[in-house]
Amino acid sequence: MTPTTTPLQRALRQAPDRTLAAQARPEQEFFCFKVGELRFGVPSENVTEVLRAGLLTPLPRTPSFIMGVTGHRGQVLPVVDLLRFLSKGEARIGPRTRIFVGVSGNYVSGVVADTVLGLRRVPVSEILPPPLGGDAAAEHLLGVVHGGTPHDGLNLLNFSKLLQTARQRAVVR
Amino acid sequence: MSLESPNDKPAAKPRGAKKSPGAKAGAPEANAVDPLKPFTDTLMSVLSGNLNARVPHDRVQADPTGFGHLLNQVLEQFSSAEHRKQVAAQEIDQALDSLIILVREGDLSRWNTSTEDPQLGPLLEGFGKVIETLRIFVREINEAALRLSSSANQVLAASTQHETSSTEQAAAIHETTATMEELKHASAQIAENAGSVARVAEETLGAARAGRGAIGEFIQAMQQIRSDGVAVADSISKLSKRVERIGTVVEVIDEIADRSDLLALNAALEGSRAGEAGKGFSIVAAEMRRLAENVLESTKEIKNLITEIREATQAAAGAADASKHATESGEKLGAVAAQAVEGILAGVQETSDAARVINLATQQQRTATEQVVASMAEIEDVTRQTTQASKQATGAAAELTQLAGRLAELIKRFKAD
Repeated sequence: MTPTTTPLQRALRQAPDRTLAAQARPEQEFFCFKVGELRFGVPSENVTEVLRAGLLTPLPRTPSFIMGVTGHRGQVLPVVDLLRFLSKGEARIGPRTRIFVGVSGNYVSGVVADTVLGLRRVPVSEILPPPLGGDAAAEHLLGVVHGGTPHDGLNLLNFSKLLQTARQRAVVR
Repeated sequence: MSLESPNDKPAAKPRGAKKSPGAKAGAPEANAVDPLKPFTDTLMSVLSGNLNARVPHDRVQADPTGFGHLLNQVLEQFSSAEHRKQVAAQEIDQALDSLIILVREGDLSRWNTSTEDPQLGPLLEGFGKVIETLRIFVREINEAALRLSSSANQVLAASTQHETSSTEQAAAIHETTATMEELKHASAQIAENAGSVARVAEETLGAARAGRGAIGEFIQAMQQIRSDGVAVADSISKLSKRVERIGTVVEVIDEIADRSDLLALNAALEGSRAGEAGKGFSIVAAEMRRLAENVLESTKEIKNLITEIREATQAAAGAADASKHATESGEKLGAVAAQAVEGILAGVQETSDAARVINLATQQQRTATEQVVASMAEIEDVTRQTTQASKQATGAAAELTQLAGRLAELIKRFKAD
């Protein structure tokens, strides 16, 4: 990186390369984020917006993975704690905690993310199937991507299925 | 003896005078006439020493009776005169004896010779007066001799004592001279020491003055440090306020970066939804997001730095405070030291003065001691002479005592009472 080039110029320079790469091999875009120690990816078509975690109003008689509801553009948005949902612990709301708005069909839900890693294009060829014999979380995964380092990997979520399951669980209650 | 001959002559003369006419008259009477024989015989008898011989009345013829009677009267008178002469001679002898005894034995007390003779009376009385005068003289001389003896003894004792004292005095003077000599050396030593003390005091004075100057500079430096420290504390507090401001500004930047991050994220999502057309937009948004993240990281760093600065300024403030206290106590200590040095200066000044005075005084003392030594030598000389003289005086007094004893002995031979 040279000090004379701005990040924007650099980005513009790199952009054509990526276009060419995308033409060469199929890619899928994921919205990547981090909750706790886990790194997740959600197909970007399922994500409409990212919000700040404002005040959450807890709802009585809801499953524990529903952290509460918040108002968003005149609508009531339920907020899901992925860690609780996947039985991987518990999310904490901090000053920099984000909530992304996920959609799947008619269902809209907010999901707590500690840090948003950003949009990432993943070559389809790199997507590996979820590990067999894994825990219950595996059923909501599209697959996994191994990064260069162990901490660089991604768990690609099947967000539609996840929302369905969540809905089912909430209704069952 | 001299008294005897005048006494003798008048007594003999009348006798001779009276006798020769008698003898002249008698011889022709006896030769011429027989009737005169009684007269002649009587006269012869008288001449031969029988003074009691008288002309017998019965053998004398009538007419010459008157003559015989007259002759008898003459003879009577002659006889009584002779008797008186004999008595006087006896008395004179007695007086002479007395005088001889007096002269031989010196006994004046035994003079008590007296006489009824009116002619000898004045003589003996004169003798008595002379004797009396002599007696008084002797008595006085005796008394004087006694006094002289005792005085001579006293003089001897006194002069002996004087001799001893003067010998002792000579020894004492000798000792004193030696002591004075030592004193002279000692005073010279003292003068030297006082001189070196004065020198040292002078050096100390210089050093103490230098110390005073240094302390003054030290105090000034301390004051400078204190005022600097106050300025530093002021600056630190200002710095602290600025840093706090920076903190608030950073908070604002942080907030803006956070919003930018969110906006960029959403922009990227928008771009993604736009499909292939929004791709470049998405990339730009992602870069913006990275920028925002960089800013966030930077602000985080700034916040850490601010925290560190805050701690550092607090430490600096504490240090400045401590420095202020330290300089204050340093100033106080400097003042105390200045006072102490003032005291030292005064003391050293006094010491210097005193040492100088001692030096002078000891020099004077040395000269005085030298004079004393000289005087003592003179005194020693004089004392030696005095000792000599007193020895002589003692000898003379001893002699005088002896002489007085002899005189007393001699005068004792005269008995006045």
